[in-house]
Amino acid sequence: MTRYIIRRVLGFIPVLFTITLFTFALMRAIPGGPFDFAGDRSLPPQIVANIEAKYHLDWPLWKQFLSYLIGDDLLGEEGISKGVIRGDLGPSLRYRSQSVNDIVATTFPISAQLGFLSVLLAVLIGIPAGTLAALNQNSWIDYTSTFGAVIFLSIPNLVLAPILIWIFALGLGWFPVAGWGSKPPYLLGFLPQLSQLNWNYISHAIMPVFALGTASAASIARLTRASLLQVIREDYIRTARAKGLRERAVIVIHALKNSLIPVVTILGPLFAALVSGTFVVEQIFGINGMGKHFVQSVGNRDYQVITGLTLLFGVLLVIANLLVDVTYAWLDPRIRYD
Amino acid sequence: MAVAELTPQEGETLVRKERSLLEESFIRLVKNKVAIISAIFIIVLTLAAIFANYVAPYGYAEQDLLANNAVPEWMLFLLPPGAENYANISDVYAFGADHLGRDLLSRTIYGARVSLGFAFVASLVSLLIGTLYGMVSGYVGGRVDDIMMRIVDFLYAFPFLVVVILLQTYFKAIERRGGASFFFDLNDKMGGMLFLFVAIGLIDWIGMARIARGQVLSYKNTEFVEAARAVGASDTRIIMRHLLPNILGPLIVAESLNIPSYIFLEAFLSFIGLGVNAPTPSWGIMISEAVEGLRSYPNQVLVPAIALSLTTLAFNFLGDGMRDALDPRLKE
Amino acid sequence: MKSKSMYIVFALLIVASMVLAACQPEQAPVVETVVVTQVVEQEGEQVVVTQIVEKEVTPTPATVEQPVTLNWNWATEPPTIDPALATDTTSVDAIRNLFVGLTQFNPDTGEVEPYLATDWETSENADGDTVYTFNLRDDIPWVKYDPTTGETTQVTDADGNPRFVNAEDVVYGVKRTVDPNTASDYAYVLYIIKNAQAVNEGEEGFTLDDVGVTAIDDTTVEFTLEYPGAYFPSIAGMWVANPQPAWAIDEWEDKWTEAGLINTNGPYTLETWIHGGELNLVKNPLWINADDVQIERVHGVMIVEASTAFALYENNELDTTGVPLPEIDRVKADPQLSAEFVNAPDVCTYYYGFVNTKPPFDDVNVRKAFVQSIDRQSLIDNVLKGGQIPATSFAPPGIFGAPEPGTIGLPYDPDAARASLQTYLDENGMTIDDFNAMGIVLMYNTSEGHARIAAAIQQMWSDVLGVNVQVENQEWSVYLDTVQKTTPVEDAPHVFRMGWCADYPDENNWVHEVFNSDAGANRLRRNCLDPNCGESTTSTFDEITAQAAVESDPDTRVELYHQAEEILAAEEAAYAPIYHYTIVQVTKPWLDRNYPLLGGNDFFNWTVDMGTKLDATGG
Repeated sequence: MTRYIIRRVLGFIPVLFTITLFTFALMRAIPGGPFDFAGDRSLPPQIVANIEAKYHLDWPLWKQFLSYLIGDDLLGEEGISKGVIRGDLGPSLRYRSQSVNDIVATTFPISAQLGFLSVLLAVLIGIPAGTLAALNQNSWIDYTSTFGAVIFLSIPNLVLAPILIWIFALGLGWFPVAGWGSKPPYLLGFLPQLSQLNWNYISHAIMPVFALGTASAASIARLTRASLLQVIREDYIRTARAKGLRERAVIVIHALKNSLIPVVTILGPLFAALVSGTFVVEQIFGINGMGKHFVQSVGNRDYQVITGLTLLFGVLLVIANLLVDVTYAWLDPRIRYD
Repeated sequence: MAVAELTPQEGETLVRKERSLLEESFIRLVKNKVAIISAIFIIVLTLAAIFANYVAPYGYAEQDLLANNAVPEWMLFLLPPGAENYANISDVYAFGADHLGRDLLSRTIYGARVSLGFAFVASLVSLLIGTLYGMVSGYVGGRVDDIMMRIVDFLYAFPFLVVVILLQTYFKAIERRGGASFFFDLNDKMGGMLFLFVAIGLIDWIGMARIARGQVLSYKNTEFVEAARAVGASDTRIIMRHLLPNILGPLIVAESLNIPSYIFLEAFLSFIGLGVNAPTPSWGIMISEAVEGLRSYPNQVLVPAIALSLTTLAFNFLGDGMRDALDPRLKE
Repeated sequence: MKSKSMYIVFALLIVASMVLAACQPEQAPVVETVVVTQVVEQEGEQVVVTQIVEKEVTPTPATVEQPVTLNWNWATEPPTIDPALATDTTSVDAIRNLFVGLTQFNPDTGEVEPYLATDWETSENADGDTVYTFNLRDDIPWVKYDPTTGETTQVTDADGNPRFVNAEDVVYGVKRTVDPNTASDYAYVLYIIKNAQAVNEGEEGFTLDDVGVTAIDDTTVEFTLEYPGAYFPSIAGMWVANPQPAWAIDEWEDKWTEAGLINTNGPYTLETWIHGGELNLVKNPLWINADDVQIERVHGVMIVEASTAFALYENNELDTTGVPLPEIDRVKADPQLSAEFVNAPDVCTYYYGFVNTKPPFDDVNVRKAFVQSIDRQSLIDNVLKGGQIPATSFAPPGIFGAPEPGTIGLPYDPDAARASLQTYLDENGMTIDDFNAMGIVLMYNTSEGHARIAAAIQQMWSDVLGVNVQVENQEWSVYLDTVQKTTPVEDAPHVFRMGWCADYPDENNWVHEVFNSDAGANRLRRNCLDPNCGESTTSTFDEITAQAAVESDPDTRVELYHQAEEILAAEEAAYAPIYHYTIVQVTKPWLDRNYPLLGGNDFFNWTVDMGTKLDATGG
């Protein structure tokens, strides 16, 4: 297993390199640059050239890419870039006093908390709901659960979020309209301080997490149900029952563990899908997360930000995929990696 | 009696088994009321979208500035109290009008074109590429399979959304420079989204490829394939006539379950400003434009949102139904 | 014993503080004049009357735990608050509250007034260049806020001497903005200063020392100009010419504007800045007019989504915000919200430009037809709903030299429009179908608001003229590229949407810098010698604006600018002005704010009645 993990980790490198190269190249291919205008007016070309020179945007593309990856000093040039390999993701071209590292440090923790809580909600609601539905197939529990799941799957975040604000914040006044409950500095770089984990935090988190997590919860519920239904009829379950194990033991130990495999499979893509949901939820709830940078930096032509964030996201994605595969192996002893 | 008399020969059994599997599945599907209702809904919607010119009461760009934000009497209960003071109450439009006085119902019907167009084009492209890729990889096996799957794993790590945003930004930026040509015209008709639909299909085939490969692997060594090989059938023939019909089922199911995500993707792109060009309507753009006024004029959000939700519901139920029908093990 | 005496001292201190606390002087009641609506008996009838009444009001004191706070929404993360680098209104708003400029604009009249500079005079030097000499005050301290203690202290230099804003700081600031290494987007505004353009563009043989700004002594700054400009004091007041703290910038470089590091000199200092989250200001106790600054703390969030901000406002979490367009109807009809609704003029103009070299818009009849078929009032009443002012000329009221709206230019006249178009068709032997076959394109940058207006006007052109105009949109950075005067004319649209807001309140910034075919951006491509506008010549309009730029007599300048506006809007119909912007906001009753003529949010001029506010928000 360890060898497998190491092999996978090594395999990340070409993937991440390609992702970075692809983003870098495609961004440059889009017409328009980060400094073409100041407010409402477009700038004369000499000014633009001046500003671009400061950020080495006048270098040939391959040089810019290398500088981005390994740093200016290793290239034998004057500059501030230390390169991705030394953890420097570059400056932001739009937010002059911030570097990409700063942006990540400020916004990533919040998006991470939001995302994590949503996945948690999805799993904590989805799996029990799906299990109950499967165990009581075709009863009212099943129908309600399935129907509820499909309903929530069909409402886009874009509509759900403002409706939640309308009903629960403005109408009932239970929760605050917008914002997030934790502020920097963060524990370990992304966790909220323990002192901040109070009702204020929870009340700010409930609606966004709900808006983001229900669709995933619905997916997981349906998948759990379908998968559990299949597994229950398998021979080995019959054997376990025949052996005289109590029903609950049967379900939890044998059936559920195996039926979770397809669920775990979708956790990877689920995590990826969260990102688009995050942008909408963050924007509508006024949460200072990373989502908006993903979208805005393309429009701003903020090359370093989008490349850096894509790289970061790629890293998270490959780690998530790896975790999924490892969990896979743990859940199903028949699956062996070497 | 009747059954015992028939002594099936090799070829006949092959054919009959195929037909009856699909037949059986179809019969099971038809018994699933919810799935049938969904299928009918989708068909009706598609027809309405295609014949929107005849079905919709107004054109999608027909404005009446004086009728802006019109709300029909029966929808007044959705508005906040005191709505009579500010709302333009008019029964001219069945579900009300948007901020430029354009009929919501008509725009929703025309909007189905973009959403369904997206769904069908993207899923067709992705199905095509994914199936081909997966089948080749699974059938050929060996090193080719290894390499092809490595590539898939590789692509799996690509952040889909970033690629979509980059591509759409790029397409929109070069739209003007493209000049006149068949593709750009067609692109215009779809509100500038045609390239994106194709692009999405081009990026999203990976899931399909994996399923196709898995299916091919499980059927590759069955008797009827061996028999076909023994008879001297070429590889292509085997793939096309014997494997494809069997594996198509799960593929279509998977794709139809993917369609709701395409419809949501369109709404998301509209929200971030990378959606259709005005005045082409799409559910996504209608929702994005109206969401700011959710409290004042909820009908402007609800009409396209309900259309969108019903459609994704329909695809979900239909996909579920097809999957249940194809999978005999889910019988009671 | 020692400990016992300590206890006694503590006890005494506690008692003393309790006594002192109890002895806080009561706030004296204040007499206020208030406008009141009353029902009064007049000639035997009940009549509603507004009267001015004197009331005695006891203001609720702000306590230490609840400083007078303004809940504000910046709406977006300011890209920078470095005066040399700022370009957008959010950044400039923050800068105006944090830093002081040479001059300022009177919020009511828009006139230039002293600020850091007490007075100034013009003269000519030996080379015949215009010279402006500004005399500065010497008592504005540089201050720094300490986040750990919450105290604002005066900055001292290496020898321990307190730093006051002086002429050297102004010179440093100007030079830094102009320095190509700073990469300032807005440096071009300072090109009126001698050699500034040459230095900024990196021309050979010019260094920063050649820039025409010098410190004669600690309180005198001298500017040498490239050409005479009566509007220079306005430019001197812009943030790009602000004094900047050389020592702090040298030490912290790109990070010098972060909270805890920044040195400021204005009414407020920077308390916190969580990028993308919040930017909070706190009153500078060492400010020269500190007694006039009532708001002690500004809590500024960054909510981008307008409807969320409005929801926050309705929830009493924001004290003032813009009204999202779809909600305007509801706000105006709601008894409470309509009382809080404010409609004030803003100094920006929205217009559709024509590419004057692209047929058929190279013909004045076509242009006139398109301008006169726009029903601006209908657009404002039905689509914009913000009480905007229909514009038939370019610069809005408040800009020096601007004509009264509606007095100059082409009004809505569908008959005249049809006649003009018919003239064109007859002269060229075309039918309306031939005209439509040309494929007229209207373009705007991606935004919901622009989309609505474009859709409405597209319909108007169709209804009045029978022309089918295609509408396209592009995202901002691509769009600006496309409408540049040098873009190949095949790639450019026929009509493009633009807006312009004042940099400084003078027509020079408007008709000259935007439309002059020689010196201006000239996206209208007037007088171009080739369709791609590589070169252009000048006509009457251009000569007039160029003359007005260097004219010193204000009355002559006004006369010239009126002429120029008339030519551009009516004779040439080179563009279609649509409306002058307005501010559409709601403000809580406890916030008393102004709407400066030239825009901007100056918190130091506002007041918040904390008593009422705390009552409404529940403390």
